[in-house]
Amino acid sequence: MTTWELFTNGFGVLMDPYTLLMVVFAIIVGTIFGALPGVSATMAVALGLPFTYSMQPIPAIVFLVAVYCSSITGGSITAILFKIPGVPSSAPTTFDGYPMAQRGEAGKALGIALGSSAIGGLVSALAMLTLSPQLTQAALSFSPSDIFAITFMGLSILTCLDSKNILRTLISGLLGLLLACVGQDPMYAVQRLTFGSPELIAGLEMIPVLIGIFAVTEVLKQTKKRDKLSADESNASVNTKMPSWREWWGIKWLLARCSVIGTIIGILPGAGATIASFLCYSTETKLSKHPEKFGTGIIDGIAASETANNAATGGAMVPLLSLGIPGGNAAAVMMSALVLKGVQLGPLLLVNQPQYLSATFASMVVTNILMVIVAIAIAKVFAQILAVPYSYLGPIIIMLAIIGSYATNMSIADVKIMAIAGVIGLAISACHFNSAALILGLVLGVICEGNFSRAYTISRANLVNMFSRPVAGTLMVISLILLIWPILSQMFRKNKD
Amino acid sequence: MFELICNVLLWLGLLYAYFFNVLEAPIPDRTARNPYTLKPDVWPKAIIILLLICIAINIFNIIRKNRNNPDFSFASMFNINVKRWIGMALIIASSFVLEPLGYMATCFLVLFLYGLLLGQTHVIRLLIFSVVITFVLYIVFSVLLSVNLPRGTIPAMRNFSLYVESIVATVKSAIGM
Repeated sequence: MTTWELFTNGFGVLMDPYTLLMVVFAIIVGTIFGALPGVSATMAVALGLPFTYSMQPIPAIVFLVAVYCSSITGGSITAILFKIPGVPSSAPTTFDGYPMAQRGEAGKALGIALGSSAIGGLVSALAMLTLSPQLTQAALSFSPSDIFAITFMGLSILTCLDSKNILRTLISGLLGLLLACVGQDPMYAVQRLTFGSPELIAGLEMIPVLIGIFAVTEVLKQTKKRDKLSADESNASVNTKMPSWREWWGIKWLLARCSVIGTIIGILPGAGATIASFLCYSTETKLSKHPEKFGTGIIDGIAASETANNAATGGAMVPLLSLGIPGGNAAAVMMSALVLKGVQLGPLLLVNQPQYLSATFASMVVTNILMVIVAIAIAKVFAQILAVPYSYLGPIIIMLAIIGSYATNMSIADVKIMAIAGVIGLAISACHFNSAALILGLVLGVICEGNFSRAYTISRANLVNMFSRPVAGTLMVISLILLIWPILSQMFRKNKD
Repeated sequence: MFELICNVLLWLGLLYAYFFNVLEAPIPDRTARNPYTLKPDVWPKAIIILLLICIAINIFNIIRKNRNNPDFSFASMFNINVKRWIGMALIIASSFVLEPLGYMATCFLVLFLYGLLLGQTHVIRLLIFSVVITFVLYIVFSVLLSVNLPRGTIPAMRNFSLYVESIVATVKSAIGM
């Protein structure tokens, strides 16, 4: 079957009113799940599974794909309005989304988040349909040293996050990397840095730490002698509006770059939307003409993160459909559901059951378009919450943080970690450290160490051999330049002055 | 001064962790004998060494910048926001009482007490708000999303949670869910 036939067949499938209705229902469910803190994209897909038991294979695929894509987008709503990333991949969205919301530009921030999510999703869907076999082969040839180099490139943002405070940002990033070491080591399961606490043996769960540092710290900062948010801080009158064509045109290359990087990262097994969004945010900070504005509330930061995490959803579908290898946790849940429905995932899918590939593609395209409309409506409902006085809203955020942390693993220990992370977040802020850098280190730390360790063993403890591969070598050189350049340029500037 | 004390404590804590807590279990023999494996303590120890250097420079910078600052004293440590400290205590306490009290009582108490802390003066309105939100969140997470919220280990609290669950189950069966 040719690509064009796959394309037309896919949309033919979606013309069925029942299937189309399923897509709309899935978008509503997925966006709400994604917006709720503690309900990750994986959990959203898992919660959507029971709905598919009585469905035919095609509506089931369409439903799960729509839940998956929209849950990633839904995470940006609470990230922008409340500084609570609904899903971990929305964490970089808080860096610029929340400052914009505080300036009374929540509508514009949501508009750019939803628009760029749709663009990222559409590009990756097209890549999935046209380049599945080639992209999968390329991604599978990546070795641990290549993946380490990619994550190290994500870490190279550290010296750029706050150019006036490079040392403190570096300390924050290193603290994040150290926190990622808590628990059993990824290769030999040796217990480290748990201080005898059995609750830390499994390591620090990402969601509670994210919720604590972003949401709880924010409520603690607001715990002062006042009740209502001041007029300019309140987003009660959020009217989601798309940025102008001129603004879109201004970030066209950013959207293109992040769509491509997000799709490629999504294809890599074990990577996924979170790494994609952090990596694209860091890349765009480096490439921007005004890197100092990142983190202060600019549309570039939101667009980079949201384009990338949605592009990663399409990327994750590539190895799942063409090789039967799930790119991430959500894809693994989806895989089990599709196998139950009799779908033959792998190279034979295109030969024996091409209709399923068409349905997945069409579902992704329609979801990414309809999602913008549905998410605008849902964002308006969420924004109304901000109209209530802070003495009501603050406690609700704390309770959402508690339930969100607990719901991840049904663990009280995670709630305690969230509470402590909230207090640590406040101390970090008082010491002028950078919480975004700490989270970056924590998110990338586990992948960084695991892949470094594997690459070290494969290269027989020879660091030169380890980075002699073209991808790893090139990326490491670029990363080191990006990491050291801001420090050197600051030193040169001081000497000049 | 607060920043300086935090940095010094962090530096001392990291030094302690470097010597006593990086490895809390012996490295398996096969791993220890294999020259081509990265030992489990190498990565965290490398990070700690970098941190010790960076924090030492940061401490030096803080002292140098504040050498002539009259506000840089131990007395300034006590200019603290009491409400914020109570807030921190409340959040930490709520994470510890969630298991014995269960979701219902914890949620109600957090909503009510934190509401008071944030300056809400209408106590009756706050009470009603706390009860309503407790049930709304319960329905969203426990009923609709099937999250098993903690029932509590104190018998009275557990019985109350079971009572609410039985009412929810009756309503669900009545509407055919």
